[in-house]
Amino acid sequence: MEFSEHIKTANVEDVVLRQPLHPSSRGTLCITGHHLLFSVREEEGGSSRQVLLLLRNIDATEKRIAGSSGTITIKCKDVQVLQLDIPGMEQCLNIARSIETLSGLDCVSDMYPFFYRPPDLSLQDQWGLSSPERHYSQMKELHDRWRLSTVNRGYSVCPTYPPAVIVPKEITDDMLLKVAKFRQGGRFPVLCYYHRKNGMVIMRSSQPLTGANRKRCREDELLLQVVIDDSDKGYIIDTRSRQQAQQARMMGGGFESKSCYSGWKRLHKQMERGKALQESLIKLVEACGDGSHNMDRWLSKLENSKWLSHVQTALSTAGLLAECVERDGHSVLVHGSEGTDSTLLISTLAQLIMDPSCRTLEGFLTLLEREWVQAGHPFQQRCAHSAFSHARLQQESPLFLLLLDSVWQLWHQFPLALGFSEALLLRLATEAYASDYGTFLCNSDQERCSLEVKEKTHCLFQALLRPKEREPYSNPLYEHTELAIWPSVHPQSLQLWRGFFLRWTLQTRHLEEAQEEIRNMVNEWGKLVLT
Amino acid sequence: MTSPDNHNKRKAHRVMEFAELIKTPRVDGVVLHRPFMPTVEGTLCLTGHHLILSSRQDNTEELWLLHSNIDSTEKRFVGSLGSIIVKCKDLRVIQLDIPGMEECLNVSSSIEALSTLDSPPLMYPFFYRPMFEVIEDGWKSFLPQNAFKDLESMTDEWRLSEVNKDFTVCPTYPPLVAVPKDIDDDTLRKVATFRHSGRFPVLSYYHKKNGMVMMRAGQPLTGTNGRRCKEDEKLINATLRPGKRGYIIDTRTINIAQQAKARGGGFESEANYPQWRRIHKTIERANVLQEGLIKLVEACNDQSHSMDRWLSKLEASSWQTHVKEILTTACLAAQCIDREGASVLVHGTEGTDSTLQVTSLAQIILDPACRTIRGFQALVEREWLQAGHPFQQRCAQSAYSNNKSRQEAPVFLLFLDCVWQILRQFPCSFEFSESFLVLLFEHAYASQFGSFLGNSAAERAKLSLPEKTVSLWSWVNRPQELERLTYPLYEANSLVIWPSVAPQSLLLWEGVFLRWNRSPKCLDEAYEEMVHIIEYNKELQNKVNTLRRQLAQLETEDPLLQTP
Repeated sequence: MEFSEHIKTANVEDVVLRQPLHPSSRGTLCITGHHLLFSVREEEGGSSRQVLLLLRNIDATEKRIAGSSGTITIKCKDVQVLQLDIPGMEQCLNIARSIETLSGLDCVSDMYPFFYRPPDLSLQDQWGLSSPERHYSQMKELHDRWRLSTVNRGYSVCPTYPPAVIVPKEITDDMLLKVAKFRQGGRFPVLCYYHRKNGMVIMRSSQPLTGANRKRCREDELLLQVVIDDSDKGYIIDTRSRQQAQQARMMGGGFESKSCYSGWKRLHKQMERGKALQESLIKLVEACGDGSHNMDRWLSKLENSKWLSHVQTALSTAGLLAECVERDGHSVLVHGSEGTDSTLLISTLAQLIMDPSCRTLEGFLTLLEREWVQAGHPFQQRCAHSAFSHARLQQESPLFLLLLDSVWQLWHQFPLALGFSEALLLRLATEAYASDYGTFLCNSDQERCSLEVKEKTHCLFQALLRPKEREPYSNPLYEHTELAIWPSVHPQSLQLWRGFFLRWTLQTRHLEEAQEEIRNMVNEWGKLVLT
Repeated sequence: MTSPDNHNKRKAHRVMEFAELIKTPRVDGVVLHRPFMPTVEGTLCLTGHHLILSSRQDNTEELWLLHSNIDSTEKRFVGSLGSIIVKCKDLRVIQLDIPGMEECLNVSSSIEALSTLDSPPLMYPFFYRPMFEVIEDGWKSFLPQNAFKDLESMTDEWRLSEVNKDFTVCPTYPPLVAVPKDIDDDTLRKVATFRHSGRFPVLSYYHKKNGMVMMRAGQPLTGTNGRRCKEDEKLINATLRPGKRGYIIDTRTINIAQQAKARGGGFESEANYPQWRRIHKTIERANVLQEGLIKLVEACNDQSHSMDRWLSKLEASSWQTHVKEILTTACLAAQCIDREGASVLVHGTEGTDSTLQVTSLAQIILDPACRTIRGFQALVEREWLQAGHPFQQRCAQSAYSNNKSRQEAPVFLLFLDCVWQILRQFPCSFEFSESFLVLLFEHAYASQFGSFLGNSAAERAKLSLPEKTVSLWSWVNRPQELERLTYPLYEANSLVIWPSVAPQSLLLWEGVFLRWNRSPKCLDEAYEEMVHIIEYNKELQNKVNTLRRQLAQLETEDPLLQTP
């Protein structure tokens, strides 16, 4: 086993663990290839306790040596902070070094999902909840004007798309090949949502590669033209500011000009991405951990982090998108630069706003699978590190967390309209960064295919839907509504997602208890109705 | 006593006075705009106490607004159409479009005059006759002598003194106060001259668990030359167990307390009170709090859609800072009593504002009884109304007033906000829901009930409020109202509840400050749904019980039916 060479000290006795919400306890610490295991020896009458932490969940460690013992502070990607007091300087240093190395290993096929074999799941089970094929076959209304293209089988046209995608019927695979060359990363416009009420659609893509000399692509123009065919116009929502889109031309990118895409009206909405978003998260988590007890400082740090502004922009852009489709009755194309980040964020939120079938537990997980996992959000790059890491930032960016936060705002504003619970959002926020399951591994379908993720790991979404698992993740108060749920995006209406960012403080605990009580009441009620 | 005839004459006279102020009592074709509600067109009527808008259609709700609820008005003209923007003390803003410039001017000047009448006998509670049956007279629900009976069952170290029975010793205290048994009334009179406004130390709370007490007072009048008063020292030392130390919590910073000496005030020096440890906290003075409220409400109504601006305005209002300081001080007092096992004396300057915030919140933390609907009423009655919080001065204006505030301050609102923070952190430990707190806020500022009129027990007695007005508690303590205010998930919790006071744990009280900025529809629906579930649950439970009884009966009648 190659992990063993990183583990000089596998076992230490008499370690003290300090963990939020628990009294500190003394026990044995073990380091394995993927886990940190802390177990309290059984005391007379007292119950034994075990803490199992995926090393992958560790974002940063700090060690302090005082005399012959040392302390390791472990900062997790799910924003929990733990502390281990370890007797013996050498042991402490060994443990710290092991944690650092093992948590930083980034070879995907060595990661824990490839080793995780729970007894009640079989690798023979179907992997995933749906597929582009099934999605297409379920939507009969589409079939007149849209077709399923397998132009991308073998991932040769667009490495970040799944093998099958939905495109306008009139556009042949040959034309798609040409369009793919004209869009960054080959991400040609594909259908992501069909609005049954009025037949309008949402498509997504990446930016067109017009460049400084305003290149055109007839096939691209035709593709978009046939989508709006008989209606008067469509909207293009560009998630960059006008200026950013202009500048992108210098680097070969660009946007759809009015003259070439006459039926389309372009709207620019500047959304933060990449490094700026990651820095915002770091600042916010730092503010949440600030123990200075100063109200002004807290509020100004909260403001400074800009996180809530990003949530507001995400929700208001998604609201704009949904308004174009549902209220104005027009089809919309969404893109930014690559089309793998903010594009997915707003197309997902807009679907939650408009489509009741996305708001059930299954529906929401299927939406995430389609719009994030299959659509090629680079989870591995984006979620390599979270808010505590000292490592130099590379591709990390908390877009998925921003999505979950925005969904939480919806959940908070419409407590009965969503079929899933806050616990699901919290679980997903943890799993995206460190998981027993293979769902969030890799950056695209292609990578997952080449590493045989679907054959060698289990799927998180399926695990969550198992009868014995699903209860805490469903909303006991859920009531189906056909209506669109329009979130308020007033700054006064948006709140800090305390359940996540202040998860490890005592007061969130009480809210959990209240949720638990609601669940019990509804269950009791259900039983009474049956008798 | 005035004869009924006389009384009616006087009343008729008053009605005359109102009539003078109302130049245009009726205008047709007025359009009312309210947040998140459809506009209503109808007839506007002004009466002595109400602004009424009625569409004369069965299905539209009418507007009945108490003039005393109006904080400020603005008028605007476009051609001959005038608009009056009415800003209420409960923070709601409505707009009336009135055709005709003269009508609009008349209405607006009437509203202004009628909403600023400040003579209590002219206020609505003196004219209001209840439309409901008064089951229990709220004026008699929480008498000090009854509260003292509870105390007597726990300890014999305290007595009820009548030294203030005609309000001469302390004009802001009630006629009956609890004091240490060994301190006689003469001593109390001497102590009263040594404390601000005669507010000598009295019992505020007795902690049954360990026999420790919380007292409150006005500041000692030591002045610049360090006056002392042996009787004062004797009084508060009488509450200490042998060899034990007590804590004095001064709600002012040490600097402000020092400065107070120059104006005759001061604090308890270590030399004269060696058995007491003094702790200074920083609860802001009334005018700072009022400014905070104005800024906060301005921020909440800001429509600019900028997140940064909202957060920085929220910060600049310092409202959340005030909430945190008050809660922290209350926790400190509760900690001294429950954890340190020490008695506590709380005071600031007058002892009628921040002092009461601290003593009442500490009781909510320590005493489960205060977390019931009735217990909370008793607490408000005891620690705010009887204790002499000047409601009439403090609540004369709210956040929209243009007047330079003098005596106004949201001291009581801040207290309610702090209770809400605790309630939010321990939702199941309170028998009442948020709506009870909102109700108290509304009635403190404008009400048909007499409870919050006047500034002290003395003023209320002089106005004969118990005889001439209805108490808010008479309204609240009826089954249908109690049901509305009860929190369905309540489970009595006998423990002390320690709220988190970290800034990250404290939230803006949406139920008051953003109440009119959001559609009430969803919240109302959710609440109705909850009530529906609970009722259906009860019904089913009854059904289950009936069936069980029937089954038991059948089993006893026919033993063969008993299945193994």
